[in-house]
Amino acid sequence: MSETKAPERDETGRFVKTDEAPLPLSADEMHPVSKILFGWVSAKATPSIFLWGTILISVALVLIDYGMNRHDYMGFANFNGFYAFWGFGAFAIAVLSGWPLGKLLRRSEDYYGEGDATPKDAAGQGEGE
Amino acid sequence: MSAFLGTVNPGFVLVVIGLIGLVVPVQRVRQGLMIIAPLIGMFMLANAQQDTNLMTAQALGIDLILYRVDNLNFIFGLAFLIAALLNAIYAMHTDDRLQDGMAMAYAGAAVAAAFAGDLMTLFVFWELTAVSSVFLILRAGTRAAYFASMRYLAIQILSGVLLLDGIAYVYKSTNSLTIEAFTSLNEPGAMFIFLAVGIKAAFPFLHNWLQDSYPKATVVGAVVLSAFTTKLAVLTCARLFPGFEILIWIGAVMTIFPVFFAVIENDLRKVLAYSLNNQVGFMICAIGVADLTTEYGRLAMNGAAAHAFAHIIYKALLFMSMGAVLYRTGTAKANELGGLYKSMPFTTVFCLIGAASISAFPLFSGFVAKSLTMSAVAHEGYIIAWLMLLFASAGVLEHSGIKIPYFAFFGHDSGKRVQEAPFNMLLAMGIAAAICILVGLPTFMGLGYGWLYNLLPYPTEANGYQPFTAEHILTQMQLLMLAILAFILLKRFGLYPPEKPGTILDTDWTYRKLGFGFATWASTVWAKAGPAMSRVSATVAGRAFDRIEEAFSPRGQLSRGPLSGGMAIWTAALLGMAMLLSFITVGAAR
Repeated sequence: MSETKAPERDETGRFVKTDEAPLPLSADEMHPVSKILFGWVSAKATPSIFLWGTILISVALVLIDYGMNRHDYMGFANFNGFYAFWGFGAFAIAVLSGWPLGKLLRRSEDYYGEGDATPKDAAGQGEGE
Repeated sequence: MSAFLGTVNPGFVLVVIGLIGLVVPVQRVRQGLMIIAPLIGMFMLANAQQDTNLMTAQALGIDLILYRVDNLNFIFGLAFLIAALLNAIYAMHTDDRLQDGMAMAYAGAAVAAAFAGDLMTLFVFWELTAVSSVFLILRAGTRAAYFASMRYLAIQILSGVLLLDGIAYVYKSTNSLTIEAFTSLNEPGAMFIFLAVGIKAAFPFLHNWLQDSYPKATVVGAVVLSAFTTKLAVLTCARLFPGFEILIWIGAVMTIFPVFFAVIENDLRKVLAYSLNNQVGFMICAIGVADLTTEYGRLAMNGAAAHAFAHIIYKALLFMSMGAVLYRTGTAKANELGGLYKSMPFTTVFCLIGAASISAFPLFSGFVAKSLTMSAVAHEGYIIAWLMLLFASAGVLEHSGIKIPYFAFFGHDSGKRVQEAPFNMLLAMGIAAAICILVGLPTFMGLGYGWLYNLLPYPTEANGYQPFTAEHILTQMQLLMLAILAFILLKRFGLYPPEKPGTILDTDWTYRKLGFGFATWASTVWAKAGPAMSRVSATVAGRAFDRIEEAFSPRGQLSRGPLSGGMAIWTAALLGMAMLLSFITVGAAR
């Protein structure tokens, strides 16, 4: 039989809120709701399904464009697949720019010499639960 | 009673209750007050008559309009009150009087400023937002937060001083402080006020205070901060500078540059701060297009207001989800997170809803809000600006739509298994998520985007716009799905830059490193040069005195010997003769 710990009190006799017990989850376990909502995420086939699903949807969206007579305010935007091209290109440029920009702009974590910025009310910083 | 409540600026009530909260020691009583205050505020706003000076005063011969609701500030005030309510619920797990009280006073100041009918009232509450909000950063209790809060305060106060300067010029030239739109930046005081607004709205190069301070605030503080200051600046900009073309370009640049910083930033709360900058850019751009004499100008103003409303909710939701992660795991750094969907499923879902909303997926709030701006910019023929906004739309998907949820909840499993967020946090996130969805749906039973459009400054133009057309859904989905495909391919081929810890330099380097370094160097040089210069001058002066004394003193060279003595006698004799002659000539003249 497990021993029941008496609730802690401070010097004035008021109950002190203690840390909540950590959820008994091991590295291999999942929250019950996670299993229902996101159980599929860790399946082996998920990355491939995501990739091919996205490709199929993307192709379908461009094909639908051919069957639609759009009336954009910008004439050049009526070109079939313009938004698809722009979305892909803009995203790729933004992400790929991260390589040179990271090299150019990234410095050590305490570059300004002001120390760690993790607030005290975050877990493990002294005041969090 | 309701008639009376309809004549009091709800912001005043929030400020007073916030200040009372500072001295209420019982946590649940205080937090109950913090939840009731915005509800009272909403009731008061619902009973307020529009386009009437509901509360006036006079000070130093100046007429003050303390409360005036119009078709523009109504939706901003309402969004502020909803945000205040969400913040109060989100903060319930903490027992922090200062934070609770100041968060409510800050919200109240923003509400009061939104409903101010004159520039002086606006100034007073403009400054109060600065002074009250700084505590939300300070309460983080770190050295970094302390320095950031001091920089934040200095920059916010500078904004206030510029506003006051502008007000002085306006009053001198017009003898009135009523809030009315400027027609040109050359008008007296306009440029000062424009700069003041620019600082608070975080225009490019004036933006660093935002990314510097928000990520260093407390878990709750960052959520509170995300809602008010920049959107108050957007509202002020919309009231004073509608249709100013320069805003189109400032806004377009604002949407673009944060995208690049957000890609390489590791701190996810800082990513959200850059994202905030990007979103405000859309609003500023819309205000630039908003020539209110044209139909599409009014549509653009609707776009700015709708975007602000939707943004306040989904940005708060994203900050809340990252706050929950930080609260449970102790970090918001992308390289230390991942796999949290396994232990924080509800937070994951709420974050995904926020991400979908900010990315403007159909059926979420961003879709119905942002499209108003995009349509207006396109119709008015600003091709480059429109392409920039379209680029930024894909950028938003990158940093807020994918990066935030992917690196925090999915991606590489960090192995962190934590408790789900506290119930109050989940409740606040749940309400925010519900608003994001309800506003984004097609109109049904008084809800959906029709509800939002009816609250906009120009509901006729808004209701004439149909966001759910096949064309619009198709083009938006093309943009988003192909961007997602780009993400998947870049990840698959190892071309997505890895998340690395570090400090990303921004233009604040100029004052935090270069300026501070110069000041330190100048101080060191002066500390050494000052005493050295004193020694040199003392030596030179001492030697000069010695030489002069050696030459001219009674013991000096010139006093010695017969020649010097004779010279003295002759000089005295000549002076005596000159005096004698002058007496004689004066006497003769009489």
